[in-house]
Amino acid sequence: MKKLNISKKTIITFLASQIAIVVIIFILFDLIPVTREYSTISDKVSERGVNTTAQLSKESSNLIDMVRINEHHESYLRNALKLSKIDSISLLIDLRDSLAILSLKGVSIFESKISKIQINQGLKKLPDFLRDSLYSGPLQVTEDLSSIEKFPIVVKKPAKDTSEANKTEAAPTIPKQNDVFVLMAFDNNMILEIDQQENKLAGSRFAYMNYKRQHMNWFMSRNIRSLFGSGQWGYIYQLKIEIPREDAGSIYRALPIKPFVLVRY
Amino acid sequence: MEKPEKKNILLILLAFFITVCVIFLCLAKSQTLKEVAISFYSYHDSPGDLAQKDSVQLTKQIKETQRRISVLQKRIENLAPATPYLIINTTKNTFVLRTKKEIIREGICSTGSYILLDAGDGQQWIFKTPKGQMRILGKITNPVWIKPDWAFIEESLPVPSKNDPERREPGSLGDYALTLGDGYMIHGTLYQRFLGLPVTHGCVRLGDDDLKTVFNNMEIGSKVFIF
Repeated sequence: MKKLNISKKTIITFLASQIAIVVIIFILFDLIPVTREYSTISDKVSERGVNTTAQLSKESSNLIDMVRINEHHESYLRNALKLSKIDSISLLIDLRDSLAILSLKGVSIFESKISKIQINQGLKKLPDFLRDSLYSGPLQVTEDLSSIEKFPIVVKKPAKDTSEANKTEAAPTIPKQNDVFVLMAFDNNMILEIDQQENKLAGSRFAYMNYKRQHMNWFMSRNIRSLFGSGQWGYIYQLKIEIPREDAGSIYRALPIKPFVLVRY
Repeated sequence: MEKPEKKNILLILLAFFITVCVIFLCLAKSQTLKEVAISFYSYHDSPGDLAQKDSVQLTKQIKETQRRISVLQKRIENLAPATPYLIINTTKNTFVLRTKKEIIREGICSTGSYILLDAGDGQQWIFKTPKGQMRILGKITNPVWIKPDWAFIEESLPVPSKNDPERREPGSLGDYALTLGDGYMIHGTLYQRFLGLPVTHGCVRLGDDDLKTVFNNMEIGSKVFIF
């Protein structure tokens, strides 16, 4: 093996160029969209008049928080009532009680205990009044991604003869176990992710990787869109919940194609 | 002269490959990088009009909101049926028979297999359980199954005429059946070992004891929620 003759200068130039690329991408795809979102939010705050809670007494500040929490709860219930008038199943996420609920005609038909809630920085930092309006639904899903099919259809031809028919009847095909990961996007830059709480995969690694690839592509396409767009998808407000695998599957398959979602924080 | 050139080309290719990987990684990890970017910023919170109110006014506002919340909660509670109702989960193949206040019985059932039977010549049937809110339209004791065309086609048997006695199959639906409309029923099964699996042609199959309880508690008009 002959020794490679690369000068120190070349290595430094190469490393510097890589760092420059990282910085440029960070500025272009992350910092600029985030700054744009920040200025939009800041404008909304100043429109309301900058009277911060910091200027208030602790008692008043606590009372204001209570007013907001109660008003948000009221709005959540009003929207739940509104949803009871439609014929399809809706998803209610109650972060306060850690419950994911399927509701049909106002009747709670399925409940699943949320084991983990993850809220991203942007959502956490959002001023309360804007968080209220972001959540004030009902939000309609515009796009979704999932690791399972909504309708697990299997095409079958008729049996060739009665003995084959008897054989099928005696041992029907048992559906295979699948891992459940779902992403639902709304038109207000917000997404809800429902992930199975089990770490161990029940299905194939390939199916899992396929979902992860779709997931990554979805975010990448939003990033590129935000670069040319008018701030839409500049920053994605992300809420992720974890529930048992079977419950996540039940919820995803129960919901119609573009379901309504309500969130109570 | 040739060897060093080849080496240079390889190095350039390697550098190019690393650069592409770095770009891809940065874009793939953009969500994380955005979290870094947003950590540079913080917003002022603005309580708006609430800041002008004193503690007495705020307490009054809280009480009024809480009163409205209780009214809304009551209204939502009242949306649940007053009589026993049945909830069927077609993904887990489970059922819950309940009233507004308590669960009467819960267990496993069998629902549609999602098989699409393609008999050719444009003849297709999909064996799925319909979802949504339904009502019990009829209650039958010792039901007889009137086999539809697909039941013969599926088994590769000749399809008999509409009223042919060959279509009648007593015993296969169990002791009771509750009709939901469009040919869908909640009934018993000879294949008890398949309960808990999606193996039906769209109907809901229950075990014998569960079926009896459901039959005795549900009236005509009772609600069935299938999801």
